[in-house]
Amino acid sequence: MEKILLRNIEAIDSHTLAVYRSRGGYRALEKVLRGMSPEQLIEEVKASGLRGRGGAGFPTGMKWSFVPKDSPKPKYVVCNADESEPGTFKDRLLIERDPHAIIEGTILAAYAIQSRTAFIYIRGELVFGSKALQRAIDEAAQAGCLGKNIMGSGYDLDLILHRGAGAYICGEETGLLSSLEGGKGWPKVKPPFPATHGLFGCPTVVNNVETLAALPWIVDQGAARYAAMGTEKSKGTKLFCVSGHIRRPGVYEVEMGYPFKRFLEEDCGGVPDGRKLKGVIPGGSSMPVLRGDELEPVRMDYESMQAAGSLLGSGGVIVMDDSTCMVKAAWNVARFYAHESCGQCTPCREGCHWMEKIFWRIENGQGRKGDLDLILNISGNITGNTICPFGDAAAWPAAAFIKKYRDEFEAHITDQRCTVS
Amino acid sequence: MDPVKLTIDGREVATTKGKTVIQAAAEAGIAIPHYCYHPKLSIAGNCRMCLVEIEKMPRLQIACNTQVSEGMMVKTQSPKVLEVRKAVMEFLLINHPLDCPICDQAGECRLQDYYMEHDLKASRFEERKERERKREIFGPYVVFDGERCIKCTRCVRFLQEVTHTEELNVVNRGDHSTIALFPGKILDDPLSVNVVDICPVGALTDRDFRFKVRAWYLKNTSSICPGCSTGCNITIGSYQNRIARFQPRINEEVNSHWICDEGRYCFHPLTEGERLTTPMIRQEGGLAPVDWATALQKAFSGLNAAAPLAGLLSGRNTNEEAFLFARLMRKISPQAALAVFYQERALTEVEKILKSPDRSANFRGAREMGVSSDGEWEPLLRQLVEGKFHAAYIVGEDPVSLQPGGGEIQSALEKLSFLVVQDSRLTATARLAHVVLPATNFAEKEGSYTNRKGRVQKLNAALAPPAGVLQDWEIFARLLARAGDRVAYPAPQQIFQLIAAEVPRYQGLSYLRIGDQGAQPSDGT
Repeated sequence: MEKILLRNIEAIDSHTLAVYRSRGGYRALEKVLRGMSPEQLIEEVKASGLRGRGGAGFPTGMKWSFVPKDSPKPKYVVCNADESEPGTFKDRLLIERDPHAIIEGTILAAYAIQSRTAFIYIRGELVFGSKALQRAIDEAAQAGCLGKNIMGSGYDLDLILHRGAGAYICGEETGLLSSLEGGKGWPKVKPPFPATHGLFGCPTVVNNVETLAALPWIVDQGAARYAAMGTEKSKGTKLFCVSGHIRRPGVYEVEMGYPFKRFLEEDCGGVPDGRKLKGVIPGGSSMPVLRGDELEPVRMDYESMQAAGSLLGSGGVIVMDDSTCMVKAAWNVARFYAHESCGQCTPCREGCHWMEKIFWRIENGQGRKGDLDLILNISGNITGNTICPFGDAAAWPAAAFIKKYRDEFEAHITDQRCTVS
Repeated sequence: MDPVKLTIDGREVATTKGKTVIQAAAEAGIAIPHYCYHPKLSIAGNCRMCLVEIEKMPRLQIACNTQVSEGMMVKTQSPKVLEVRKAVMEFLLINHPLDCPICDQAGECRLQDYYMEHDLKASRFEERKERERKREIFGPYVVFDGERCIKCTRCVRFLQEVTHTEELNVVNRGDHSTIALFPGKILDDPLSVNVVDICPVGALTDRDFRFKVRAWYLKNTSSICPGCSTGCNITIGSYQNRIARFQPRINEEVNSHWICDEGRYCFHPLTEGERLTTPMIRQEGGLAPVDWATALQKAFSGLNAAAPLAGLLSGRNTNEEAFLFARLMRKISPQAALAVFYQERALTEVEKILKSPDRSANFRGAREMGVSSDGEWEPLLRQLVEGKFHAAYIVGEDPVSLQPGGGEIQSALEKLSFLVVQDSRLTATARLAHVVLPATNFAEKEGSYTNRKGRVQKLNAALAPPAGVLQDWEIFARLLARAGDRVAYPAPQQIFQLIAAEVPRYQGLSYLRIGDQGAQPSDGT
């Protein structure tokens, strides 16, 4: 398989402009600035079938086309580099090793909606990555790829790197915008949507790092080549971050539709030390866990994952072998969401901590009859009832752990102790 | 405004484009429960109490942020909606201390009301509750209880969007979220206590009012704030014939949903302290109690005998009182100089949101009733100091204490051959009088005020006056009878009918037309 996203990362000094250029970098930008209208670019990206890689999988070209062309307000593109989903570390690799691909992709997106100012909102903890990105932005500006009159085309764009202050919720696109505006990272009520009322109330597109990094290749090689890869509805390739009980953890670029079981066993080397695969979270900690024995038909694309009862999400694959206590794992995930809930909406603010407290009791031998149904009910009461998808992200895994491993949870309650470790 | 028709709970509702479901429902008399939504603040959408079912939408939608559209089908009572309401109530209460017996909000708390209406089940929460800050002083009048707070952010948005003073914000995350003052700030802007009124629970309470009386014991009387000439509409909450609090009463033409702190607490100086309960006349060795007939006879004959005469009326006297006062003074002496108390002070930008520069609630009305012979309060006082008058009738004000240069006024009043003072208390001015007539304060009066913008509004008596005093209008009426006026003045309502007949701008007005929202007659100019 031809690598699209990871095409550059193994080259020596891949983060520099010279190496990026020597490998065809900024060719796509030149092609667009010399001969494509914003409309043509949007059509090209629509034709590629590229979908947002932040987790929701919304078609990128369509997202751009929602931005009103005749708005008198400034328009903004924001690159979401606030990668914080537990189990996810794909954007970090691109930021550190191929920052120019992200910058070029951001410029392309900005050109598509005719934005004159773009932002990269980077997770504050990524100190090394932010330095790499800033260096690359400076290099690009010096080379005339950013700033006034880019490549002599008359198109101007400023790109500003902004470091977050450390909250998971700022990865949610409207929470990110609130934070970027200087406020508390609280998601905004929708409607209005960012496409019309985003950053500072202006039309805004927020795209994930991986989405933007795919754009230069798509434009350079043509949408048709990208669309030829993957499945009918999930085109191209996607990064997967594999961690946990697995022989070869790391970031993998996989063509959409690749068999999940084969990926884990062959590409990643399977579970080490002869232990058995107990469960996998396929798309970052907010996605429902899959049992080890239900992976056979699952393929690595949006539709297949959904059919299996989970979601592709951010591509953070967390592998757990049979030494894992699923109650403890559920508590660990619940604890994360209880800590990160922004506290704005009642169900999420109160419900996340409540679930976490019950999981903790069960794991520590104080489970009560009825606890499991109570958690399922709390989870159901949060799902769909909050401003942003965080509520769902906290509620889904809690319910999934119980549904998939109910026996283990019940044993904890009956025996009044952890029955695994 | 384009008309829109939608269906709410099977009822067809007509409204206009741009309205939200919660507004359209309210117009149709369908109350959708809510905490964070407030008609005068931006949409926060965080409490999730107003979730409703809308046909063709996969998820429940918050009614406060969903705009109506033609043919929309809304259900506010479907099983799904009722279930979510119960869930939201349960979530709101899991960390709540449930301390209603010692909470000042009890009786007017949305948590209590909605629990009874929408939840009514035992909590399934058996964990340790999160602790929060208790009794934190936010400012001179506002105290915060973090455990009762439901984080609806109404207070935060009020201070951001109405006063722009921004003292409060939400800090921390998740169920540690709480309201806090910005470092170095205190909640002491001139409108600060409105946050207590809009707080739907017992998190923010009024330090002046709390623990005085349970909300359900209060007698509530619609009235007008006597603090300045803006004429903010208020509800007077009283208990055992004492005022416990003022709360704003909604009037979009005047004060919207708010009142200022100065107005809110102005009843303290105006109603507290020892009352005059008997008329007095000056005798050898000082003021001595007499009966009303003696006092009124003495006052009338004294004023009648000593021209030139000055009449000074308080800015808190009603139109009805001012009308009779002007009539009385003209009858005694057609050349009598009349003025209404008036004093301006500088206002800050935040104060200007509601406050008027003066403290005379009915300055305009009293002038329109004829208490305005030759000009203003200050020139009249100057003439008084210069010795232009031989007698004066001062009603409801204490210029000796209140006026800069009170000493000069005192010696001027001492030189008068005759002084009548009518007030509710024995003020420094009253001590100089030859006749003292005990009268009522604003809270004991029925009548009307005309605010700075000319709006005529209705004052209602919240308290019964103490035994021995007479209503100001009644004192004037009895003196008028002594002056030979044959008209009967049975009550303020009939006096107002005379005003409507005689004062051009008030033509066609009646108490019925004024109602509880006031009436704005044209300026006639």
